[in-house]
Amino acid sequence: MQFRLEKRREPSRLMSYITPFAAVLLTMVLGTVIFSLIGYDGLGAVREIFLTPLTNSYKWQDLGIKAAPLIIIGTGLSIAYRANVWNIGAEGQYVIGGLAGTGIALLTYGMTGWWILPLMVLAGILGGMAYAAIPAFLRTRLNVNEILTSLMLTYASVQLIYYLIRAPWKDPMGMGFPQTRLFSEAARLPTIIPGTIVHLGVPIAVIVGIVAWFIMTRSVFGYRMRVVGAAPHAARYGGFSENKTIWLAMLVSGGLAGLAGVLEVAGPFQRMVPGFPTNYGFTAIIVAFLGRLNPLGVIVAGVVLAITFVGGEVAQTTIGLPNAATGIFQAMMLFFLLAGDILIKYRLRRVSPQPSVGAA
Amino acid sequence: MTLSRRTFVKVGGAALAMPLLGSRAFAQLEKIKIGFIYVGSINDNGYNYAHNQGRLYVEEQLGDKVETVYVENVPEGPDCERVLRELAQQGCNLIFATSFGFGDSVVKVAPQFPDIAFEHATGYMSGPNIGLYNARFYEGRAVCGTIAGHMSKTGKAGYIGSFPIPEVVMGINSFVLAARKVNPEFTIKPVYISTWNDPAKEADAARAMIDQGIDIVAQHTDGPAALQVAAERGIVGGFGQGADMSAFAPDTQLTAIIDHWGPHYLASAEAVLAGTWAPGNTWEGLKEDVVQMGPYGAKVPEDVRAAADEVKNGQIDGSFHIFTGPIKDNTGTERVAAGVTMTDAELLSMDWYVEGVEQPA
Repeated sequence: MQFRLEKRREPSRLMSYITPFAAVLLTMVLGTVIFSLIGYDGLGAVREIFLTPLTNSYKWQDLGIKAAPLIIIGTGLSIAYRANVWNIGAEGQYVIGGLAGTGIALLTYGMTGWWILPLMVLAGILGGMAYAAIPAFLRTRLNVNEILTSLMLTYASVQLIYYLIRAPWKDPMGMGFPQTRLFSEAARLPTIIPGTIVHLGVPIAVIVGIVAWFIMTRSVFGYRMRVVGAAPHAARYGGFSENKTIWLAMLVSGGLAGLAGVLEVAGPFQRMVPGFPTNYGFTAIIVAFLGRLNPLGVIVAGVVLAITFVGGEVAQTTIGLPNAATGIFQAMMLFFLLAGDILIKYRLRRVSPQPSVGAA
Repeated sequence: MTLSRRTFVKVGGAALAMPLLGSRAFAQLEKIKIGFIYVGSINDNGYNYAHNQGRLYVEEQLGDKVETVYVENVPEGPDCERVLRELAQQGCNLIFATSFGFGDSVVKVAPQFPDIAFEHATGYMSGPNIGLYNARFYEGRAVCGTIAGHMSKTGKAGYIGSFPIPEVVMGINSFVLAARKVNPEFTIKPVYISTWNDPAKEADAARAMIDQGIDIVAQHTDGPAALQVAAERGIVGGFGQGADMSAFAPDTQLTAIIDHWGPHYLASAEAVLAGTWAPGNTWEGLKEDVVQMGPYGAKVPEDVRAAADEVKNGQIDGSFHIFTGPIKDNTGTERVAAGVTMTDAELLSMDWYVEGVEQPA
């Protein structure tokens, strides 16, 4: 029996929905095998990583706050990637968004007022946009590849944190530790469910995903993004300027990354610390692809990635799985997803071996 | 019944608890579950490795009366909060948060679990169920500095720091003060890399400083990367930090500062078992065996070993304290008068550098 890959006449919709689930399932199966082979309780590992965070209601709040930034950034990236604009520097835009919000929080330190938090959020979004504007400018004016510039600007943004929290923004009470002071009450994101740590950022993430889905499927903007990505020639013929699309894609993805940054610093962190960049911007790339570049899919994918983070810690404490296991599971998921993509354009077909001529 | 070490501990613990029965918020326990969170990997062969050795020490000593769990590579931020709650929810009676940056999270989570004992290493924020523990690493630094003063040919050392917090600043100062007692021209160049554990950054910093003429490297980060660079570049040497790192640079490690947390962890575990745990604030060093010195490297000549031993033993018997005046800061102002020894409180808030330290950027 032989198999052959055969090109489909048109990409399979069914496959594009099935492969993300298949990728998660395959990850679980292979994860069980691999960790059993190296001497851990493989089945237990998969159970603790993928199921415990879902079955233990105490973990839901953790999933929510871990998924929120992934969903917000992932949504922005899914829009940009749809238009074939490869913003890899969401981490940097997230950092600048967080710093912009921190700036407002420190300027208004000790003040009260409902306007402080919205102002911080606005500053965060604008900060992320401004930082994404640099690669957009370089790409549209000088034709510099945005993958490199956006990625490298991430490292610059981290150095900016270090500079700010070591000197001008240093906490006067921090025993010399490079961090800002704790924000005053008015600059902290409120928790929305009493007795938990679920903050306002969680519903905002879901709303961002839904609104983005609506815009992408029902508006001219969404149409433009999809057409430019899917059929650049047709888009140019139809009058959509490529440069304008790049600008829109970078600003939207940068602005959303900035939003995630300011929500994160005002919510869980409540001050700027050197540990603020925690790779949400990079993990969100996996989220965007696992969600099939569809904002609704991104919401689900954000939760799946949050599960692996939270579950990874559960597995460490309950069955002594090393921390690196979480990374292995996440990488396997992306690997299977990308490998599975071939089934969207190709089909697997069984072929009977050709009888060789003249053998009879 | 045979009197094993274990039953001995059990009986001893019970006896200790007797007079206190009913007077404490913490109940006596049959068995204890201890959680540890580490900022890096237990395989870093340095700081986190040493904490994990402490965990294993407790397991070995208490046997089936203890169960331990740990979570490694926990970022210093909200993720730490989640891990603390996870450990609390899994029934840990005692939780050790082993890095400075976990402080905020411990302070947030501990009040939600008043029955659990929390201990935060190297921090400064305590609470009704938050104890603090630290080690006098600076005592080991004084021994390293003595060796550096003798052996450096250029009279310049590099120092890779994580963050300019008092713990790190006092380590640098102790090192330089000791080195300048031997070579009054000795200077040090600190570089802060804003992380506890990033071998690539540690190695880069070491390379850059070697290019600028240092021939001794010391570090207050978690791994052996700087030592490996020192070996590769063939400079005079460096020091292990947190653990004996001689396996990584056998000819280059001159000695090592070894964190020996086991006895402290055991004492806390026994106190929780006995129901006598109360938030403490311990700061122990060479004398209490919480800080140990590694073996001298083959390169270190006899007379230098003797000088280093003298500094070490002086700190153990209390006759020598590295922070005894006169001490000038690096702008030339006298900060500590002759014959005066700095207090612990002064050390724990130290934010200035002594003479011989190049002001870091």
